[in-house]
Amino acid sequence: MKIKVPKLYRPVILLIIIKIIASCAPDTCIQETTSFLNAGFYKTGTNTPLPPDSVTVFGIGNETNILYGKALNPTSVSLPLNASSTTCGFVMKINNMTDTLRFIYTSYPHLISKECGITFFFSLDSVMVSGNVIDTVAVINKNVAIFNAENIRIFY
Amino acid sequence: MQRISGYFISILIISCSLPTRAQDSIKVNLNIRAGFDIYGPASYLTDQKNLNLEGYISIDRDNKKSFILEAGHQNFQYSQYNYSYLSNGFFVRAGIDFNMIKPFEAAGKYYAGFGLRYGISLYNSGFPSYEHDNYWGTGTGSVPSSFHVAHFIEVNPGIRTDIFKNISIGWNIRLRLMVYSGTGKDLKSVFVPGFGNGAKSFSPGINYYIILNIPYKSLYVKPEPEKEPEKETEQSKH
Repeated sequence: MKIKVPKLYRPVILLIIIKIIASCAPDTCIQETTSFLNAGFYKTGTNTPLPPDSVTVFGIGNETNILYGKALNPTSVSLPLNASSTTCGFVMKINNMTDTLRFIYTSYPHLISKECGITFFFSLDSVMVSGNVIDTVAVINKNVAIFNAENIRIFY
Repeated sequence: MQRISGYFISILIISCSLPTRAQDSIKVNLNIRAGFDIYGPASYLTDQKNLNLEGYISIDRDNKKSFILEAGHQNFQYSQYNYSYLSNGFFVRAGIDFNMIKPFEAAGKYYAGFGLRYGISLYNSGFPSYEHDNYWGTGTGSVPSSFHVAHFIEVNPGIRTDIFKNISIGWNIRLRLMVYSGTGKDLKSVFVPGFGNGAKSFSPGINYYIILNIPYKSLYVKPEPEKEPEKETEQSKH
């Protein structure tokens, strides 16, 4: 027996199918879940990007975990801040000259999604630099989140 | 599969029982209805962390439109490898249903149409624990439960049919849009009672109802006159 579905019900049936397909989709987290402070390299006195020949970066107190090991010509580096503290520092070797950067910030939890859970966002208060190779640091965007926005500019 | 078969059984009941030929007017009751959702309690049998109890009262304005008030209570618990979450609260939705079936064919017994709702959810939500790993190690914390008020709108297509005298069954899909979650942008609610996933602005849902119909008024409805086919006006060329 052939059942003819009235036109009236067709959108409803289509919606049901969409709903069923959607509810069958697995709950997986496909987003970036870590916030990074993004730092771009610039030539002192200008707003011209200047990628260093090589950059090495690791956290102060976390020397065994190298974030960047002699990375060649990076235009920027992404630095993870410590959510368990209000300050953290990094050693940065730019063209084999060593500097230290220290960040002071406040952190707060942020729900990414049901699937991904909670991460920490940060509001940057200030930056201190030892000043060997780095001339100045300018804060462009104090909100450190999971988006890829530039937060500071390192002039050297 | 049980869900799918439930949908199509409902569609078949309506499809097979609509009156197709009638010449005289028929008596149609306008009803006050009380519906009780059975989808929530049925889901609770398979997932005892989440309980949704809800129902509605509606009154037919005429044989096409009904005013409706829905209310319910929802408890929600969720946990995964990096956080746990709790929410519970009450919600109400008010709106109107539009029956798209012609009054003579619907005969006061059948409904296939859509509704519009405005909903308010009064709920508590919190994160008893969460953790996050990054370069520096694992950060942990908790967010104590706090009270929120959320506002949302929804469109809900659905169908309903009488199965016995004064007893109907029906289901509707809920397509909800958050207007205001009341939580701020950082710690949105994973689940808003009456709405669903509060981390997203759009949340679908479904209800399956058993409905008690109480007639309060009768109307006589005539079939709509059939349109006569247009006569050919083109004259043959000689």
